[in-house]
Amino acid sequence: MRLPPMSPEREAGFRRLAWTTAGLVAALGPHLLRLQLWVSAFVLAACAWRLVAERRGWPMPSALVRGLIAAGVTVGVVLGYSTITGLDGGTALLALMSALKLLETRNARDHTVLIFIGWFLCLASFFYAQDVATAAWVLPTVWLLAAALLVVSRRGAEGPALPPFRTTGTMLLKAVPVALVLFMFFPRIAGSFWGAPSAERALTGLTEEMSPGDISDLTLNDVVAFRVRFSGNPPPPPQRYWRGPVLNEFDGYTWYRGQVQSIYRPKVAHRGAPVDYAVTLEPTGQQMLFALDMVENWTSGFAQQSWDFGLRTRKPVNAVIRYDARSYPTYRAGEYLSAALRNLSLQLPHSRNPRTVELALGMRGAAASDAAFIQAVLNLFREQEFYYTLTPPGLARDSVDDFMFNTRQGFCGHYASAFTTMMRAAGIPARVVGGYQGGDWNPVGGYLIVRQSHAHAWSEVWLSGEGWRRVDPTGAVAPERIERGIEASFAESDLLPGGLMRDSPLFWQANMLWDNLNAQWNDLIVQFDRTAQDELLLNLGFDDPGWQAFATALGIGLAVATGLLALWLAFEFRPRRTDPAAMAYRRFVGRLARRGIERTVGETPRDFAKRVRRLRPDLGTPALAITETYLRLRYEPAPTAADLQVLRALVAHFRP
Amino acid sequence: MRIRARLDRLTREWIRRRQGPDREAVTLRRGRIYILPTRLGAAFGLMLFAMLLGSLNYANNLGLALTFLLAALGVAAMHACHRNLEALVARAAGAEPPFAGNDAVFRLAISNPGRAPRCDLEAVTTGTAHAPMSVAAGDESVFTLRVPTRRRGSVVLDRIEVATRFPYGLFRAWAVLHPAMHCLVYPRPAADSPMPPQSPGLAGGGTRRRGEDDFAGLKDYHPGDPPRHIAWKAFARSNELLVKEFSGDAEALPVFDLDDVPGPELEARLSVLARWIVDAHARGMTFGLRLPGEEIPPEPGDAQRRRCLAAIARFDAPAPDVA
Repeated sequence: MRLPPMSPEREAGFRRLAWTTAGLVAALGPHLLRLQLWVSAFVLAACAWRLVAERRGWPMPSALVRGLIAAGVTVGVVLGYSTITGLDGGTALLALMSALKLLETRNARDHTVLIFIGWFLCLASFFYAQDVATAAWVLPTVWLLAAALLVVSRRGAEGPALPPFRTTGTMLLKAVPVALVLFMFFPRIAGSFWGAPSAERALTGLTEEMSPGDISDLTLNDVVAFRVRFSGNPPPPPQRYWRGPVLNEFDGYTWYRGQVQSIYRPKVAHRGAPVDYAVTLEPTGQQMLFALDMVENWTSGFAQQSWDFGLRTRKPVNAVIRYDARSYPTYRAGEYLSAALRNLSLQLPHSRNPRTVELALGMRGAAASDAAFIQAVLNLFREQEFYYTLTPPGLARDSVDDFMFNTRQGFCGHYASAFTTMMRAAGIPARVVGGYQGGDWNPVGGYLIVRQSHAHAWSEVWLSGEGWRRVDPTGAVAPERIERGIEASFAESDLLPGGLMRDSPLFWQANMLWDNLNAQWNDLIVQFDRTAQDELLLNLGFDDPGWQAFATALGIGLAVATGLLALWLAFEFRPRRTDPAAMAYRRFVGRLARRGIERTVGETPRDFAKRVRRLRPDLGTPALAITETYLRLRYEPAPTAADLQVLRALVAHFRP
Repeated sequence: MRIRARLDRLTREWIRRRQGPDREAVTLRRGRIYILPTRLGAAFGLMLFAMLLGSLNYANNLGLALTFLLAALGVAAMHACHRNLEALVARAAGAEPPFAGNDAVFRLAISNPGRAPRCDLEAVTTGTAHAPMSVAAGDESVFTLRVPTRRRGSVVLDRIEVATRFPYGLFRAWAVLHPAMHCLVYPRPAADSPMPPQSPGLAGGGTRRRGEDDFAGLKDYHPGDPPRHIAWKAFARSNELLVKEFSGDAEALPVFDLDDVPGPELEARLSVLARWIVDAHARGMTFGLRLPGEEIPPEPGDAQRRRCLAAIARFDAPAPDVA
């Protein structure tokens, strides 16, 4: 169906709406897949409907209808997200409100509200991810929204047709130095103004509890968990155990970190050469940090080590953080175990998994020592029909019994859980340790990428006279998992992410380049914190990076940056080079004005000359001659230099 | 609100004191351009503040970068807004006298000597504004300001703001002109008032009209000049329509005299005169005007109408209204 053409005003209105809507949709872009489906669908539908309605001149919904929709979507958010204050709920609400605002958009002010919401949505997408891809999407979006603001804020109907995108682009370029100075020298604060950022957002990664199947689900995720840069050579793959949450409490199905904690940190004796490295951790929403066993030093003030040797921060990690650490791969840890902690490490839920407990007790009775018993259990996994699989079947309430005697197919979590249960049943203090094992070496950047797919779980047992010893039962079933990584254990499987990528050297290379870009980005931009600022100020020659240094650097920097901005504008707005003919003519007009004959607005040079002749017949001839020469110079296709000389001579001799 | 009005008045007085009265053409230099954020700009600032707090709180560096980029865009917009007025040349470009009760139309010419176009300029005066307009590089635009009038005499346009919110509407830059532009206000013509009989004897109202006896010179042609007086030879020479003027005795032509208009009210009598002048001009007549202390000899044409109406507008006029 062909639509009749719109009137110029309606066309201008449609244009404004199209710009705003485009900006809004771009700002929603990174959120669309994250938001619940109904939210995305509602917002996109509202945008589409509004554009069609504007084009066809449909009326806007009445206040009652809008009120009903607003109430409906608010209830929807409360039901769907169970809160409206968190990041997820807040973003959903913001997106829905923008859609509702769109349904009543009439004047420029409504448009600006939408554009502001768009900028807030851009900010929200940085709260989800600060990677290169997000930044690469958001920057043009900010640009587009600013261009939309330029369009809706234009007041003159006519005037030069300024291309909004380009005009805003040059404006942003002019703004870049100021923004850079602010970014570099605006002091970052340690800590936050209000409570710890809420941690209820759904981030992929290890948590402080583990049910059967949790880790195998995680393994399907190729997302980067953290990146590690070693100062020396990286440790060999079998030593790459990144300790995460240590799980002490078991309810027969799920392992928990547990309520009972101790600030007592057992003694650790280490031997051999240390490994020094820096970890750039992606947001986890959790409090634990990851470090190689056994970590000895880490960036001070950042985190504390608890009695189970896990590192914990005071607040959940909701932004990319970076920390340095030193670990000793060879160690003896915690030779002394207090009675309370010993009891904790022997806890088993009453009357759960009875067959496993019975089996363990029998095997311990047959074994000569604890060490022999451990070996016997590992042999059990190795020699009997146990399978290492990414897709283990679901387990019953007594998960360990179900696994040990029925399914016998499991991923690392199943083996760690079963092994730890058997140890505890036999009276050996034991616990489940979650974390990551291995990592992809990035040859481009020379660092290790640890992905969610490297998630792993193993056991730790306490042996008298030795302390805590790591035992990885997965190694008994699938030794290649530890030696060569997760990909090696499932070479045939298409289930692992990036299968194609890993097979094709070109894709592998590209992926490594991209990851390296992200790592550099993290180091340079995302991780540009107070420490980096202090370092920058020291490099700039400030003795003491206190507030005076910040104020000075900020002041000087802003002065220089705004100076550049002003210079650029001065260049843009520089006066036109007046053409010499016009200057000569202006002299002529000025001389007459001093004699009381002023050229009026809109009077053509010829009319003016005639008036001069009427008022002062004696000046008529030279005035006409000057005017004709001037006009010839201005409007003839090829004015000659001789004409200009004539004009100048005539004006020079013109003395009214 | 009272505080705001007072503040506004104080600002206006301060600006007037520091700038002084203006001459005909005023270049808007840095010293006379003022700039403040608009409501939208204030809202933008609040938004940036919220973004800053959020980003700092969550130690989100890209959030900070976004906030700073937008803040810098605001700074750039402020400079651009200021620049949008700077170096413009504003010039009073005349006014069109109205009859009392109609709008006086003041013209302000703004020329742009720079290389960049100046967008969305407004000319504002109390109670009236010209729609935003752009001035292309090297061009000139004329803004018209319509000022309502109440009574005969004159109206003075004392204060004009040339303002802009371009780009983005975050800031408003303005320059204040004190051009003291005067505009006469003609008396409103009385409703239907028959003209006095055209007799020379009428209260000595006749005057000598330039006759056709002696050639006195050439003058511009005005509509209404008798065609037989056109100097055709001169026209052939110069392509200009001129008419021959003669001096000498001639028949008397109507001269409207204030004293001829009865009535106690000066304003009402002036209105009657205005009616006569308008009607006479509309009929293409030749007429003159006599007021106590001023006499305008009979002439035909638009200029004569203007002259006569101006004379009665000025006659014993009340103090000018300041718009």
